[in-house]
Amino acid sequence: MTYYEKKPVKKFYEKELEDYRDSIWGCARCNWCQNQWGWNVKSAEYSEICPAFHEFRIFPYSGMGKMHIARALLEGDFDYEDAPEIVKFIYTCTTCGACEMNCQRMQDKEPLQVNETLRAQLVRDGVGPMPEHKGLIKSVKNYDNPWMQPRTQRDRWAKKLEIKDVNKEKAETLFFVGCTVAFDNTQWHVAQNTARIMLDAGTDLGMLGKKEICCGSPVARIGDRETFIALATRNIELLNSTGAKEIVTFCPGCYRSLNYDYKEIPGVPELKPKIYHTSEYYDRLIKEGKIKFKNGQKKCVTWHDPCHLGRHCGIYEEPRNVIKAIPGIDLVEMERIKDQAWCCGGGGGARTAFMDFAQKTAVKRIGEAKKTGAEAIVTSCPFCEQNIGDAMSSLDEEMEVLDLTDLMINAIEK
Amino acid sequence: MTAKKNKVIQKKLSREAFNALKNVVGENWIYEERSVVETYSKLSIEGGSFVKKHEKDPHVLPACVVLPASTNETQAIVKICNRYQVPFIPFTNGQVFCNPTNQQPTLIIHFSRMNNIIRIDTQNMSATLEPYVDYAQLQSEAMKRGLWNGGTPLATTLCKLSSQFAFAGLWQTDLKYGLFSRNITSVKMVLPDGEILTTGSRCMPKAGDFWEYGPGPDLMGLQRAGVGTNGIVTEITVKLHAWVGEESFPEIPAGRPSLAHVHDAKYDNPPAPLKNHKLLWMEFEDLDTQLKAMRQIAHSGIAIGLNATGVYSAFYCSQTQEMTVNRCKEHFFPDWNCYVILVNSTSDKQIEYEEGILREIIAEVGGTFLSETHKPEVLEALKPWNYDCIRHSTGYRMNRKCYANAWLPAGPLENAKTTSREWKKALDTFGELDITDRGGADDTPFIYALQRGHFCLFETDNYPDPVLPEELKKAQAYGIYGAAVFAKNNLGPQLMAFVNVEPFTTMFPETGPNANLFMRKIRKVFDPNSVASPGRQVFTEEEWQQFPGEVKAAVNKMRQMNDMPEVQ
Repeated sequence: MTYYEKKPVKKFYEKELEDYRDSIWGCARCNWCQNQWGWNVKSAEYSEICPAFHEFRIFPYSGMGKMHIARALLEGDFDYEDAPEIVKFIYTCTTCGACEMNCQRMQDKEPLQVNETLRAQLVRDGVGPMPEHKGLIKSVKNYDNPWMQPRTQRDRWAKKLEIKDVNKEKAETLFFVGCTVAFDNTQWHVAQNTARIMLDAGTDLGMLGKKEICCGSPVARIGDRETFIALATRNIELLNSTGAKEIVTFCPGCYRSLNYDYKEIPGVPELKPKIYHTSEYYDRLIKEGKIKFKNGQKKCVTWHDPCHLGRHCGIYEEPRNVIKAIPGIDLVEMERIKDQAWCCGGGGGARTAFMDFAQKTAVKRIGEAKKTGAEAIVTSCPFCEQNIGDAMSSLDEEMEVLDLTDLMINAIEK
Repeated sequence: MTAKKNKVIQKKLSREAFNALKNVVGENWIYEERSVVETYSKLSIEGGSFVKKHEKDPHVLPACVVLPASTNETQAIVKICNRYQVPFIPFTNGQVFCNPTNQQPTLIIHFSRMNNIIRIDTQNMSATLEPYVDYAQLQSEAMKRGLWNGGTPLATTLCKLSSQFAFAGLWQTDLKYGLFSRNITSVKMVLPDGEILTTGSRCMPKAGDFWEYGPGPDLMGLQRAGVGTNGIVTEITVKLHAWVGEESFPEIPAGRPSLAHVHDAKYDNPPAPLKNHKLLWMEFEDLDTQLKAMRQIAHSGIAIGLNATGVYSAFYCSQTQEMTVNRCKEHFFPDWNCYVILVNSTSDKQIEYEEGILREIIAEVGGTFLSETHKPEVLEALKPWNYDCIRHSTGYRMNRKCYANAWLPAGPLENAKTTSREWKKALDTFGELDITDRGGADDTPFIYALQRGHFCLFETDNYPDPVLPEELKKAQAYGIYGAAVFAKNNLGPQLMAFVNVEPFTTMFPETGPNANLFMRKIRKVFDPNSVASPGRQVFTEEEWQQFPGEVKAAVNKMRQMNDMPEVQ
């Protein structure tokens, strides 16, 4: 396929490496996939953006390196037997999308899509994913969640909360809780805060409870398209059947899947409800006067943009608006934010397979946050909170990692 | 996986050499895995590199990649290369050097671990850098201190300054501060035999960084633009100049893009140039008027930058490939134009004064400023240059399929006409590879006015399809043809190494017909074992003898055209 040849219109989840041939060959080695966008660079220390290249310093870890590996595989210059190490390179990527962001701005090419397509090829060929990911896939298939937890435990966090069960009665707004918050009891408070905030604001809120299933994001990111498409198909049918007008989710992985990934699957019905991230929803409720804050707490915080929420989906301002609306909270910014945010290291299966790398990446983010003088890193992603939280514990820092709702819940006027 | 075609097999270093290298850097910083060396092989913006990949040439694959952390480690690596006769290539981004190969297994020395700014001397206005430091890093640190490096490269700000030294180094803002190569006060190099050379005033340790020449012969001049042949830069000290703008770039009004909306035009819409800076665009009715205006502006002493852009603005300022092509077809951007960067560096009224002079020149020569009343939509579309003029490749896009040959002759301004004419002739004869090739023929070539306009650099390019070998070969042929054209028309030397076949670099009468022989003698002194940067710039007699007969014949034919003796 040549560069200007009219290409068949394909959705992402039906694309093969061949569909990216021109892009792969055209990689100009400009190296923007490893670095902050030029006009956003404020210091040498924080001028890089690819966590894997930053740590390992060789090109196969960068977006550009993946393009070169893809080219060689595509043209048969080597195969898996010659280069078994590629599995490590391809999976030591947090899918943060920084490479694709800058490449799209500069060269109009798709290193992240190429890497995710490489992952799909590795899975299909039985070479990938990493051994550590196999349990996750099995769990999703057997339990509809990646945490090997029984379905019956999914709504334990919601005891004593009066949330409608949409399996029994209709609700205008469906809370898609997400597997991590639902099963990890250290994160239950996020789900509980979310429900309380929305119920107090008068939202007609329902949830699927034990019937909720994984959005498929974890398996999509590690390249198991078959399992992802099966989950997405089930989810679309299930969610449409609830009759909810809108879905609110806290997890950026769920948000991206429901809002963008499902549209990239060929031949599945449209997901009808409008999808909101909780920060978007809170911002709206604040603007409508349905959430009001009281004075009280004093804290200096910095916002960490989760990659799949910010860079992937463009939710930058809404969480910041929420923080700024809370009296006494002082928001200070890190150098690398929004489209140029430094990843926490926890995404794309990297934390599952390469914990040390994920933790080192989080430590770098904490260092950047500390330089702002903030007392807390606030974010809104279960994986960021886990990964940065673990790194913070290992550092024995006084700095906190807070969920956006942690700030809100104590400040809401009741 | 589908059935495979022929594999490309890498060569390996001897175990003795590999283990010796491993002992220097440790096992975590040496690689010979097949996929690792692959990522150091297909380079960019040089058609030959692509063609060799299409042809599955195994010689483009290095054998091993090693990452030193210091000058001492680099020295140890180079000494091992001499001991075991291992050719080596110093490597940063890998954007220009093509074909990092030799017949023997070749070592890549990648400097990504040496990425520190060693010091910034605010009082004496200089900065000392490790080889992997790029322009964006240096500028961001210098700007905080009221300083900057004086220019932005004709490539992305991710260019490493050490690499730019190897290519002489051109800036967009060369009008005031001169070439990058004139802004270096010292380099520390590991020579091909492993000795360490410090040049410039720093070779007297207590003298400090104040001039580039040092005592005795100008050794820096010998090393400059050596394309890595004569040594590896492990420290470079550069001049800094006063900076009168903000400490960092302001946010664009539209906010930040996301992957979901990255192609929206609003994200290519930065605010006005930085504080105390002004960017003015002019258009002209023809190339003669444009050149006349540029000459007068350059000689008047105003401004820090003066350039003309042709097809490049269509790349830089368009959101998609399709938009780029349409704007080329429609001649959306002025065919004959230039832009001027004014800076308020000494007085609050300096910009006002310089703009007054500029307007007088344009009124006298004939030309029109782009403004709110004259082509405001074009001025709006050119906004990415507001930042690009100071930190290149930050505001723009590069929507083109593949950049695989450039003509980059230098000379006085009027040479723009010859460049344009010859480029048009070449396109009409051989055919264009893309409509965007017409840039420089149907409109102005890119013109960079350097050093107060004493000379200029012109640029015209080919954009072949990277998946089509026949187009890539055609782009290569344009490059070789270009070298002959330059020689025939006395267009001056190419300042970059797109045609990195050594005899071509000596095609130019001002260099002297036998300069290649002189350089070969020098190389023998610096590189007695012939291990440094094989295939670059200066060949040994043995390497030259290995050249295909048709290449030698073509080179000598071109030399004959210029009354030059045959290459021996």
